[in-house]
Amino acid sequence: MNNELEKNKLSPRRRLVNFLVHLMLAVLAIIWVLPIFWIVLTSFRAEPGAYTSTFLPKGYTFNNYIKLFTDRNVLNFPKMFLNTLIIAIFCCIFSTFFVLSVSYSLSRMRFGFRKPYMNIAMILGLFPGFMAMVAQYFILKALGLTEGSAIRIGLIIVYSACTGLGFQIAKGFFDTIPRSIDEAAIIDGATQWQVFTRITMPLSKPIVIYTVMTSFIAPWVDFVFAKVICRANADQFTVAIGLWNMLQKEYIYQWYTCFAAGAVVISIPIAILFIYMQRFYVEGMAGAVKG
Amino acid sequence: MENNRSNVKNALLHGDLYTRLSAVVMGLGMIGHKQVIKGCMVLLCQLAFIFFMFDSGIHALLMMPSLGTRAQEKVWNEAKQIYEYIAGDNSQQILLAGVVTCFVIAAIIVLWIIQMRFSYKLQKELEEKGHVPTFKEDIRNLFDKNLHITLMTLPCLGILIFNIVPLVYMISMAFTTYSKEDEHLMLFDWCGLRQFSRVLNMKGNIGRQFWHVLGWTIVWAIFATFLNYILGMILAMVINRRDTKGKAFWRFCFILSIAVPQFVTLMIMNIMLQPSGAVNILLQNLGLISSPLPFWQNATWARITIIVINIWIGIPYTMLQITGILQNIPAELYEAAKMDGAGPVKIFFKITLPYMLFVTTPYLISSFVGNINNFGVIYLLSGGGPTYVGDTAGQTDLLVTWLYKLTIDQQYYNLGAVIGIMTFVILTIVTLITYRNSGSYKNEEAFM
Amino acid sequence: MATISLQHIQKIYPNAAVQERRKKRGDDPNKKRNNLKVTEEGVVAVDDFNLEIADKEFIVFVGPSGCGKSTTLRMVAGLEDITRGDLYIDGVRMNDVEPKDRDIAMVFQNYALYPHMTVRQNLEFPLTLRKVPKEQMDKQVDEAADILGITEYLNRKPKALSGGQRQRVAIGRAIVREPKVLLMDEPLSNLDAKLRNQMRAEIIKLRQRIDSTFIYVTHDQTEAMTLGDRIVIMKDGEIQQIGTPQEVFNKPLNTFVAGFIGMPQMNFYDGRLVKEGDKYVIEVLGARIVPTADKQKRLKERNTPEMDITVGARPEHISLKEVDGAMIEGVVDVSEMMGSSVHIHLNAGGRDSIIIVPTIDLKDDEYPTIGSKVRFTFAPNVVHMFDKETGENLEYK
Repeated sequence: MNNELEKNKLSPRRRLVNFLVHLMLAVLAIIWVLPIFWIVLTSFRAEPGAYTSTFLPKGYTFNNYIKLFTDRNVLNFPKMFLNTLIIAIFCCIFSTFFVLSVSYSLSRMRFGFRKPYMNIAMILGLFPGFMAMVAQYFILKALGLTEGSAIRIGLIIVYSACTGLGFQIAKGFFDTIPRSIDEAAIIDGATQWQVFTRITMPLSKPIVIYTVMTSFIAPWVDFVFAKVICRANADQFTVAIGLWNMLQKEYIYQWYTCFAAGAVVISIPIAILFIYMQRFYVEGMAGAVKG
Repeated sequence: MENNRSNVKNALLHGDLYTRLSAVVMGLGMIGHKQVIKGCMVLLCQLAFIFFMFDSGIHALLMMPSLGTRAQEKVWNEAKQIYEYIAGDNSQQILLAGVVTCFVIAAIIVLWIIQMRFSYKLQKELEEKGHVPTFKEDIRNLFDKNLHITLMTLPCLGILIFNIVPLVYMISMAFTTYSKEDEHLMLFDWCGLRQFSRVLNMKGNIGRQFWHVLGWTIVWAIFATFLNYILGMILAMVINRRDTKGKAFWRFCFILSIAVPQFVTLMIMNIMLQPSGAVNILLQNLGLISSPLPFWQNATWARITIIVINIWIGIPYTMLQITGILQNIPAELYEAAKMDGAGPVKIFFKITLPYMLFVTTPYLISSFVGNINNFGVIYLLSGGGPTYVGDTAGQTDLLVTWLYKLTIDQQYYNLGAVIGIMTFVILTIVTLITYRNSGSYKNEEAFM
Repeated sequence: MATISLQHIQKIYPNAAVQERRKKRGDDPNKKRNNLKVTEEGVVAVDDFNLEIADKEFIVFVGPSGCGKSTTLRMVAGLEDITRGDLYIDGVRMNDVEPKDRDIAMVFQNYALYPHMTVRQNLEFPLTLRKVPKEQMDKQVDEAADILGITEYLNRKPKALSGGQRQRVAIGRAIVREPKVLLMDEPLSNLDAKLRNQMRAEIIKLRQRIDSTFIYVTHDQTEAMTLGDRIVIMKDGEIQQIGTPQEVFNKPLNTFVAGFIGMPQMNFYDGRLVKEGDKYVIEVLGARIVPTADKQKRLKERNTPEMDITVGARPEHISLKEVDGAMIEGVVDVSEMMGSSVHIHLNAGGRDSIIIVPTIDLKDDEYPTIGSKVRFTFAPNVVHMFDKETGENLEYK
């Protein structure tokens, strides 16, 4: 009751506060959206070069996008796109299987290695990622996976091999499914495998989608591992290295607007996926905080 | 009672002939106790191990202490009238082979223990029940009560081969002279803790840089973690206010900025803040400044810029995570405080913040760890620069980015490994201290 | 269809960590925790459980929460390992048999329906896993749905059903494959009171239509009394009494059973059993009560000495009729008119008591008012005498 009254008859002071809050939010929102707005503008800019004397472009064109997908001579973006797509598809299959398997086992099964595994995962998480990466390169080299198209296999391995350590979010989700549903299925005659595939998986669609998407996105946005493992093999570059290269001194004048176009091209699907997934991200985090 | 425990001691003391023999011929205990296929598989493992050891393992182990001695040589070939290169020892490969061999040996020891215990268990089962699972039943169990073995084997192998082995390999490098310094890239030696003392010694060049970088890393991690945390929380609370209109719209605006891949936004930021970048041009056009601001050229400017940009990146994340938790704060707490006459600022510091700190300690720890290891932000924004002449570490380098520069750019592998180990040690200490003192940890204790 | 035999069943949760910590703190590691026994091996959740269940019998496990009743049920189901002892179904040892091979079905407290399947798919699930042919499956599903009256919901998802309907589906899923044994773990406790009464009646009907042996776990003694052929009353992991509803009501073996069964609770008083010649006499709150001949006989058979006892009397077994020298006086705290009877809460000898007086026995001017004094006595044929030390019933020791 009280609240209703207050709402209908805002005091002048309250109104001022509300106005200021909304003004502040508007300013902040502009700060946050401006760089994204600017990159979209740049991707349509007609004049080349990274640095211009005006903030807004003088002319607009669609040629940056066309150049990005047709110019195969200097920086072969279509090829990079294909490379990344292949890697992403395989990586997605393996990582999803790894993450879901480990999460399900840790959430639903009880075995002696369970606690040690979780502790080991925590300890390994404290090492800087690069430490393993440099040595991974040597191991891949010893296995002959650092030359030619074998680099793709190398990258797939690097991206998916250790995903079994990232079980927290999916495990948190599985933990929320009542155990009695599993038990009912077991009494109904299901094996653990059947519980996994016919009960838990259908009930966990959101987290399965989340896992598939995150593992699909990973190769598109990583440039560090890719750079270390590809080294100078230009025909094996992924999109991220390509974009990174476009900003290097030798290319930046010619390619800067194409970089913007490329950034827009890969950002749109990822942004859509991310906005769709943020719900699971929040839920997963809440779960991780709780447990 | 005691004899029933299937451990190696009991297996050796009370096992029958097969069980005891399997100490020498692995798998015999299983073959003798009606699990022929499994036993043969274990036996095959042993044979493969023996083959491996004689083929290369023993050699690899023998080479480990010296890490190779023969340098690459140039020999004059009389017949062809040219110089020929004779490949010398490659210490890095020798070290890798040695580490791998150690892991193989460890694996066979584990397998030996498991099969000893298992043989004894089988023997007992056969004595008591007269029946042991057939191979078919074992396979079926792998999809039922032993499903975790089926599901976890591949991921564990992946982690072992591509995380644990590389880490051990990298750690072992810290104790060698493997570095571009003094041309030790092909042939290097063990050198004990010398690299550690170099890094820790404040008077040396490397040591001075290390303490410098470490100091900045910690300052950065504290700022990055807590500023993001508090500002993100305030933003979440402002958006969640009862009187705020268009909550979903505001949230969308902020989420949009993290939906774009981080490396893209970071590179754009880098360009925008260059002397002739968009920001400087905008400010100059508006007449606010006369000469460009040195965002990346001056160490202090660079540091502040990085922290501010990290806030720009981090706040939406914190907002996302905290929105959910905020709604879980019991409303009675607020009402009680309001009754007691507390203002909004007091409520924030007396109720919201303590509650959030209590609930989100694990999240804070993981974000602190994440920030210490935050490679992307530094590398893409400032590249660690500005760098003074003669230094390998720039003024904004973190331990991780320095580690990257030392190993990938400079090829000072041993120093890189030491830095990596130091980072791990620091993180472990921080994590343990905060975790031990956190409410969640004590709570778990109380819960037990 | 099935007999079940539980022999010396024991369940111990190994809890090495708890033990270690206690030793460190210097506590007695064998100290009882939550009243459960703690041994070297761990916490004893169920201790020495012995029970023979006849074919088609309806057995109810009842007891307060944490008494081990659900654990026992889950051991029968195979969801928990049996630490020690043997479980036989139809004479076959089941300890190491997988749940799915025991030919049992179970109904869970929270229904545990598969949310992503329709009701029909829920009912079909156990049959498809057993590879029952389609036609037979349809027949069995329709039959089970018919028995439980859920035919019209067959194509809905569980989310679209009410609590009562969900529980019917859960029961349907359990009976659809005609199991030898049907286990029910507090199936009605998530329902509201009215639905619970209704479902209770349905379970009684269901029982007549199918041939399974039932084990039913509840903490509600009304359910136990109305459903069970025999009731197993448990406390702290141990069986207190096994018997028909009449037996546990009329011949409680100890004060726990006496207090647990019956609503409102039995009244207890401190008293003394004395011998006068060859007769036993109960002295309680200044009154002398002479038990009836059959009670005298049972006491004599057991050679009961004079001793301090706990006297138990059910509220409905207390009368207001004057008997010389056997009257106790109490002060009325509250008097509740329930219709057919009046529940009088009163204070006698420092103890709160409840007595139930049929309305027909009270004249208009006799209704007790707050603060008024009431004189009452125990019917000598249904008064219970328990050993004050051990709580055992002296007649059935």
